[in-house]
Amino acid sequence: MTTAPAQIPTSFGHELRACLRCRLVKTYDQFRESGCENCPFFKMEEDHERVVDCTTPNFNGIISVMDPSRSWAARWLRIGKFVPGVYTLAVSEALPEEMQAICEDERVQYIPPKRL
Amino acid sequence: MSHRGMDDDDDEYEEEEEQVADFDEEPEEEEEDDDRRGRGGSGGRGGRKRRRSGFIDDDAEEVDEDEDDDDDEDFDGRGGARRRQYKKVSASNFFDEEAVVDSDEEEEEEEGEDDFIVEGGADLPEEDDGRRMRNSRMLPHHQEDHEDLEAVARSIQERYGRRLAEYDEETTDVEQQALLPSVRDPKLWMVKCAIGRERETAVCLMQKYIDRGSELQIRSVIALDHLKNYIYVEADKEAHVREACKNLRNIFGQKITLVPIREMTDVLSVESKAIDLARDTWVRMKIGTYKGDLAKVVDVDNVRQRVTVKLIPRIDLQALANKLEGREVVKKKAFVPPPRFMNVDEARELHIRVEHRRDAYGERFDAIGGMMFKDGFLYKTVSIKSISAQNIKPTFDELEKFRKPGESGDGDVASLSTLFANRKKGHFMKGDAVIVVKGDLKNLKGKVEKVDEDNVHIRPEMEGLPKTIAVNEKELCKYFEPGNHVKVVSGAQEGATGMVVKVEQHVLILISDTTKEHIRVFADDVVESSEVTTGVTRIGDYELRDLVLLDNMSFGVIIRVESEAFQVLKGIPDRPEAVLVKLREIKCKIEKKISVQDRFKNTVSSKDVVRIIDGPCKGKQGPVEHIYRGILFIFDRHHLEHAGFICAKAQSCVVVGGSRSNGDRNGNAYSRFASLRNSSCIPPSPRRFSRGGPNDSGGRHRGRGGRGDGLAGTTVKVRQGPYKGYRGRVIEDKGSSVRVELESQMKVVTVDRNHISDNVAVTPHRDTSRYGMGSETPMHPSRTPLHPYMTPMRDPGATPIHDGMRTPMRDRAWNPYTPMSPPRDNWEDGNPGSWGTSPQYQPGSPPSRPYEAPTPGAGWANTPSGNYSEAGTPRDNSAYANAPSPYLPSTPGGQPMTPSSASYLPGTPGGQPMTPGTGGMDMMSPVLGGDHEGPWFMPDILVNVHRAGDESIGVIREVLPDGSYKIGLGSSGNGETITALPNEMEAVVPRKSDKIKIMGGALRGATGKLIGVDGTDGIVKVDDTLDVKILDLVILAKLAQP
Repeated sequence: MTTAPAQIPTSFGHELRACLRCRLVKTYDQFRESGCENCPFFKMEEDHERVVDCTTPNFNGIISVMDPSRSWAARWLRIGKFVPGVYTLAVSEALPEEMQAICEDERVQYIPPKRL
Repeated sequence: MSHRGMDDDDDEYEEEEEQVADFDEEPEEEEEDDDRRGRGGSGGRGGRKRRRSGFIDDDAEEVDEDEDDDDDEDFDGRGGARRRQYKKVSASNFFDEEAVVDSDEEEEEEEGEDDFIVEGGADLPEEDDGRRMRNSRMLPHHQEDHEDLEAVARSIQERYGRRLAEYDEETTDVEQQALLPSVRDPKLWMVKCAIGRERETAVCLMQKYIDRGSELQIRSVIALDHLKNYIYVEADKEAHVREACKNLRNIFGQKITLVPIREMTDVLSVESKAIDLARDTWVRMKIGTYKGDLAKVVDVDNVRQRVTVKLIPRIDLQALANKLEGREVVKKKAFVPPPRFMNVDEARELHIRVEHRRDAYGERFDAIGGMMFKDGFLYKTVSIKSISAQNIKPTFDELEKFRKPGESGDGDVASLSTLFANRKKGHFMKGDAVIVVKGDLKNLKGKVEKVDEDNVHIRPEMEGLPKTIAVNEKELCKYFEPGNHVKVVSGAQEGATGMVVKVEQHVLILISDTTKEHIRVFADDVVESSEVTTGVTRIGDYELRDLVLLDNMSFGVIIRVESEAFQVLKGIPDRPEAVLVKLREIKCKIEKKISVQDRFKNTVSSKDVVRIIDGPCKGKQGPVEHIYRGILFIFDRHHLEHAGFICAKAQSCVVVGGSRSNGDRNGNAYSRFASLRNSSCIPPSPRRFSRGGPNDSGGRHRGRGGRGDGLAGTTVKVRQGPYKGYRGRVIEDKGSSVRVELESQMKVVTVDRNHISDNVAVTPHRDTSRYGMGSETPMHPSRTPLHPYMTPMRDPGATPIHDGMRTPMRDRAWNPYTPMSPPRDNWEDGNPGSWGTSPQYQPGSPPSRPYEAPTPGAGWANTPSGNYSEAGTPRDNSAYANAPSPYLPSTPGGQPMTPSSASYLPGTPGGQPMTPGTGGMDMMSPVLGGDHEGPWFMPDILVNVHRAGDESIGVIREVLPDGSYKIGLGSSGNGETITALPNEMEAVVPRKSDKIKIMGGALRGATGKLIGVDGTDGIVKVDDTLDVKILDLVILAKLAQP
């Protein structure tokens, strides 16, 4: 292992949420406690409201990425550069503008989900 | 597999190599896909390709590696020498492997190597930079292995954030294309797992990976929401997958399926199930008090997954007041208050506190106990999950209710979007009339020319615009105009047809063909169609207009068939009660043929026309459709309620015009009349007799009961003419002639009314009348000219003497060949109500009565029909008519005419010559009053002149004002000129291919050529228009050769 993986969801039910930027999937509590491993700048662990803003319970399909750099799927989904962890294939909502602004400030890319 | 262990350390090189390989490979990926093996094997292509094929080969080889793991050893050994060589280039063990695998093609490998260097260095396309960045992403991972997560992430962001700034957001499809799986990528394997445990399994595998570290050679595990029972595992080799899945409680199957490379992307492309909730979308509530209610989205909070909707509140104000005042609230669970707009004043009266609040947008609301109201609507914020937005088709009533009081129809445009969202593909078709409902071109009308994906090319009606304009289909709406006949193709009214009577934006109001009721439909739901259907007219055994017995022993007639129920007019006299009845509530159909007695003890049977003389429907009349338990169901097409059905007690009705089931409905009823069979049943009303024959009862039926023609539906035998001896069913009664469907010939012919005898079983034809009254009715008015009500029987009453007092209206009615006459007039004439208005039917005029008794049989049966096979009727009539004429004191013109004169000329129809007093008569009107069908001669036609037993041919030269004709004798008219009276001559019946002149009808005066003869019809090619017309032979005369 080269990179410490993200927290792994402790349950598989409705309390799961996906980060709107990196699509990391964890439970609400996990996000609240330790934020998002890929997007620490959201500081979810500091401001619990942020968890609601930056994550969504609406996502479709999950993918456990063991080896993001060498996984084609991760590359295809554009999560190859994130830490290993459980992600979702797609979120349907966009990050709130406020949060998008943070991404900009942090100079990280944010790709809003494509609307069909 | 020892080298595998080193992979991690060599990642960066692998990446580098990969990146180059990528470049080379991408353009031809597909191809490689197909024949990589072949190419790898033959290796006989260009160097560059060969080099690549080397890599590919490795992949191909790798697939096989499971079987020959031992081979690795050999390769390593063999490749030992090459390794050094490579190290110069890339210092890569990984490459070694590549080389090793390919070692059997050494020279090619060398070439490839060269290529590699060149391409890796100089020839990299610009795009490569980004790629390099991406591919070198593993660097930080190695270097910062022991730093804390956050630092790692931050460093990632630092690096890539910068890059991303440079390659700003260009997530183009092309770039995504570049990521398509290549053969070098790990593969996806499908693994069976316990149902419902897909996510769990994926997470378990993740956990296992974390616990075991890189021991697990899988790259990722995918669990799709829509795919049960399977997960996908991404790995290089099947063995890795097996290894990873070992000992997992949710994976028991052994079967592992490789996902074809082409399908790999499909696995990952999940449709984001985004509920595209926009403002003004129509949704339905899924739960709670408002379950199923229509609501309109006013605000969407995607992040919180909340949506604010407005709906019509279902609030029991009293209960609310009680609750707010802390009184005990009796909870009635079953009770759901009906939707009703909130009336704030009402609430205040109940001492409910109403506060004014403003929401985040500054809009004013009335707040009552935590609920927000505005304009009577309740504004409710609910979870997105508690509403459904898919396939919402608001019904008409709902939309209507939703419309704010005072809001114009224009406000509906927003709701259009929802309606349009439910459109099927191929909604618009070429030729459809459309109107633009949105955007700059709003209200522009046009015709659809072409339909693209989302765009509809329309040809605008307005001038000065481009020929075709592409408009988004969402901005278009079908367009109809009042008068269009349409068919409803979707929605609750599907199947119904009707005529558009009003267009309100995208809403049409139709008059249904079946029920005559107004239906409101969306323009989108209809297509133009001439089809006349009744919509659904039948469920199970029950059909519209059937009399049915209901569960509770009541009964009624089905007046409307709805999607799953019938509307039944119950058999309760004087109090129309229509109920909605489910199929299972109907016991059976009542098909008994019963007769009852009316108030005057006349027998009333089905199809008899009765008049209601008592009760709320007094004055209405129509044919009896059903009889049951002394109750009549009468169909009055003028009755607008209950699909025209009226329910009345037999006791409050009288039969009008005698019971039709008794059979006296037509010509040969004269004899019956003589026996006065009916008189015993009905007190003979003067009116009846004055009309000159039983046939006007037929005429009346026509007026009332749609196409209930006097003879229609009866079986008749042809007594005379070309079809003599044939039997057939009368399909249409045209007054003087009838159209008969011959039994033996499958053919419909027109036969003179006098040429038929209907003493063959007379069977009222139920179907016909039903048909006529039902679906066909809208056509009815236009059809009526075809049924002029005058019948030969009445013609007798119209003696020449009448000419003098003929009214224009009469003329119209008189001449059945005048289709230009407003149909309605004729039709109204047929209406009993208007009978008295036409002078010739003066009720109770005594003179006409006499001819009933004396004439029957006589002038009728004894007609010498000889040479009058087609036009023979006039004679009958004249003989018949002339007899009584002296009794008509009121007709001045008739005075000079004597019965004797008529008897002199038994073969000529009219009494025209006998009526000098009518000299000033309009020449265009039928000269031969005796028969409307009779030809009135015109110049230039050939005639046979009979004089003193002498017959000669001649050509009419001139029509003299006194009604006589100047005739040039001889076939070309060059001979002696004589003056003849119309009754002395007869038009020469043209033969096929003769030149003819049309003597009657709309085309009177026109010339043409007779191109064929079909029974009594001549097929004429009109000279002027070259139209081919089918005209009665009677009005055709041979044209003299000039």
